[in-house]
Amino acid sequence: MTKAKQVKKSNRSLLQRYAAAPHVVWSVLFVIAPLIFVAYYAFTDGDGGFTLSNVTEFFTPTYLKIFFRSLKLAFIATLICLLLGYPIAYFISRCKPKTQRALILLLMLPMWMNFLIRTYAIMVLIQDTGIINSFLGNFGIEPIHILGTETAVIIGMVYDYLPYMILPIYSVMTKLDYRLVEAAADLGCNGFQVLRKVIFPLSLSGVISGVTMVLVPSISTFYISQKLGGIDMLMIGDVIEQQYTASNYNMTASLSLILMLILLVGLAIVNRYSDSDGGGMMP
Amino acid sequence: MKKFSTFYIALILLFLFAPIAVLIVFSFNAGASTSTMTGFSFKWYLELFRNSEILGALKNSLILAVSSSLIATVLGTAAAFGIHHMRNKHLRRSLMTATNIPMMNPEIITGISLMFLFVFVGGMLGLKTKLNFWTMLIAHVTFNLPYVILNVLPKFKQMDKSLPEAALDLGCTPMQSFFKVQLPAILPGVLTGLTMAFTMSLDDFVISYFTSGIDFQTLPVLIYSMTKKNVKPTIYALSTIIFVIILVMLLLSNLEKNSDERIRAKKAKEEKKRQEAILRAQKRRRQGKLQEEQPVSLLARKRRKPSFYLKLVAVICACSIAISVFVAIGLYGEKTLTLNVYNWGEYISDGSEGTLDTNQEFERYCEEVLGKKVRVNYVTYTSNEDLYAKLSTGAVSYDVVIPSDYMIARLASEELLEELDFSNIPNYETCIPEDFRGLYYDPDNKYSVPYTYGMVGIIYNANVVDEADTGNWDLMWNEKYSKQILQFNNPRDAFGTAFYKLGLDVNTTDTSVWDRGLEELKKQRPLLKKLVMDEVYNMMESGEAAIAAYYAGDYLTMVDNQAENVDLQFYYPERTNLFVDAMCIPKGAQNKELAEIYINFMLSEEVAIANAEYICYASPNSLVFNSETYKEDMGEEAYEILYPSEFDFAASYDQNCYKDLDKATKEYYNKKWEELRTAS
Repeated sequence: MTKAKQVKKSNRSLLQRYAAAPHVVWSVLFVIAPLIFVAYYAFTDGDGGFTLSNVTEFFTPTYLKIFFRSLKLAFIATLICLLLGYPIAYFISRCKPKTQRALILLLMLPMWMNFLIRTYAIMVLIQDTGIINSFLGNFGIEPIHILGTETAVIIGMVYDYLPYMILPIYSVMTKLDYRLVEAAADLGCNGFQVLRKVIFPLSLSGVISGVTMVLVPSISTFYISQKLGGIDMLMIGDVIEQQYTASNYNMTASLSLILMLILLVGLAIVNRYSDSDGGGMMP
Repeated sequence: MKKFSTFYIALILLFLFAPIAVLIVFSFNAGASTSTMTGFSFKWYLELFRNSEILGALKNSLILAVSSSLIATVLGTAAAFGIHHMRNKHLRRSLMTATNIPMMNPEIITGISLMFLFVFVGGMLGLKTKLNFWTMLIAHVTFNLPYVILNVLPKFKQMDKSLPEAALDLGCTPMQSFFKVQLPAILPGVLTGLTMAFTMSLDDFVISYFTSGIDFQTLPVLIYSMTKKNVKPTIYALSTIIFVIILVMLLLSNLEKNSDERIRAKKAKEEKKRQEAILRAQKRRRQGKLQEEQPVSLLARKRRKPSFYLKLVAVICACSIAISVFVAIGLYGEKTLTLNVYNWGEYISDGSEGTLDTNQEFERYCEEVLGKKVRVNYVTYTSNEDLYAKLSTGAVSYDVVIPSDYMIARLASEELLEELDFSNIPNYETCIPEDFRGLYYDPDNKYSVPYTYGMVGIIYNANVVDEADTGNWDLMWNEKYSKQILQFNNPRDAFGTAFYKLGLDVNTTDTSVWDRGLEELKKQRPLLKKLVMDEVYNMMESGEAAIAAYYAGDYLTMVDNQAENVDLQFYYPERTNLFVDAMCIPKGAQNKELAEIYINFMLSEEVAIANAEYICYASPNSLVFNSETYKEDMGEEAYEILYPSEFDFAASYDQNCYKDLDKATKEYYNKKWEELRTAS
């Protein structure tokens, strides 16, 4: 066995050795280096001198409030996506293969459309004089005021990112050994217990990957809150974008840096609980 | 249970498809509104095929998506191969982490970080244009790479390890072993990666937004500037077409897979038949029947049809080759000069709905009169600050820009504008009256040629608002109309409304005056429905809001599109903001002389009238406001609104325009604005 291994090792060709080299160079130049620039701008002022003021500015009530609002809205949206998406992923995985494929295609179809336009269409749907409200108006129901509220922003996020929750969960569900479920039922588990003790733990990696894929874009969005949010619905992405258009690069950088660090730490903790090959978005 | 799950799935699909249904329905709207249906027509589809801006952006998006996904696929497959064979665990793990960063990081951060890199390095190299096609290509390859790698890597892991070894043992070179044995095994992963990269790239907005330059605008970036302005059903029409194409493609791929499955099932059946036949034959043989019987002849094995993915790849490759040839011809085939024009959205007559396409006219003029091939690259921005951000970083180079007065003053003071050579702009002498010369932003008439001007007034829905409450700024603070009032979503204009109401100087540098403005805005805040810029159109036209301060010209556009139950009216309060937008040439323009010819062309009678009628703002061009046809086309009422008869522009401009304030004041009011926005 050891001999075989040695042989294999010596057989490693140049190709095997250096195939990843272009990618290494690319990553250093266009992934690592840009992040260093973010850090550089975050800790300098307009004239290039070192300063901490951009970073400390974040820890003032104004920015903290915006940050916690972003967290709150993103968490709620993620939770709703999970609650809506988990059952549907399960139901689909129990269908006939043909139906499964058709349903997954239907779920993916909206993702191929431009999300700016889809969000805009949501706005048209839910505004006070929009389609939903004029429909309700036919029955004499007072218009429901949604546009400009936190609810509207959450609806937008759920709408835009729900498929990102369903697909990874579904892809884990299809690999789930259904005999285990039957065994658990035979051994006296009721429906809920089967779900809690067998199905859910087995699908956890899909859930984690889904949660990440919804949470990250939700926290950092600026288009959804711009279009669907109200006067006081600034999110951290909005502020970053505003600082960028106001040409305040140092503040842009410091906000980006802090957001990134918080998310990366969060994700690192979450990833400890899942295997390293997350991101299996495609079924 | 079964019923419930069917119902539930249907419900979720309804939720996902309702907005798409909305946009499909409204793409057939006869009117220009995206919220009220006025009839059925195909006119927006016709409009779409005439709209060179959208089609150009679509072409750019396709070029970028094809090239970036192909590069990412090649790089990523090689990388996955290398990573799979990597022995050094630490290196492998850190490389995987680096690979995952663009996927895990919020897009906004990837975009911003790349923008920093490009602007910094571009500055060091002294490039004129720091953001262009190549920077976008790099950005797109960067965020596509992880998707390719994560799709290909598992295929390497699943592959039988002895296969490549066997290939080597049988005399293949490592190259041959890769292409003949390993590549076919990982192909499904490679193709999934390619398709994903292609879609991600085609649909990407955030990263493109931060890394795009002027000479290469993709569709999502264009759509973003459109949704800030007045969205027209044209873009819905485009979405509908894209939707149908994708639907058909997905259906085809699904049929293909199903037929694959059927073939497999058929084969299994045949196999079973064969087995049975053999068994029968053996039985017969055992029974002593000696005649040789051929087993039932098998159906000739059908060659498998090429899979959907292969076809898709073939199509993509063909497209990319066609596009590259197209681009190559465009770049090198003819000596074409490009004139980069950066303007507000919807701020030039663009040929839609039977109007004159002024940019195209200019191209024709250059070819026929000057004998030069010129292409006008027309890109839009959404605010003066956007423009400033792009100009001050030197990220891009433009030839003509059309900022507002205070921004011209600022750009001039920071030496970001070129002095104009008026011998190339002879029309200026004849058609710009004295009133519009030597204004504060350009006292020596060095940098600018006025394009439009106008005043802010108050627009209200007469079906909701009582006539008696109108006439002055108090309407915007009237508690009777709580939650029906719209305010500007930028500090300068919002503070302006408060200052005009209070009779204060809008250009004050006294912080206590700004504090008084803030107090007034705080009083108004609970009454507001939303802070808006271009959303104002949609909200006023549909009756969603009842009161807004906005520009007179825009009021005229809104009246044309108002819903049945809305009756929009307009008045000027006693004191209000006046503005002038003027054409300038920024420093670093690549074709200054051509830019001056363009400015001169914009002043010529036919073109200027077409623009004035399209934009609906007042024109400072005497060939326009004295023209009888123009007056007739606009109608008496509209003309009176745009050019009030008893109004002395020059006298009131200097007092009521926004001037460029010093840095400290700007910082102060921005801070106060942030305070107002974030207070709850």
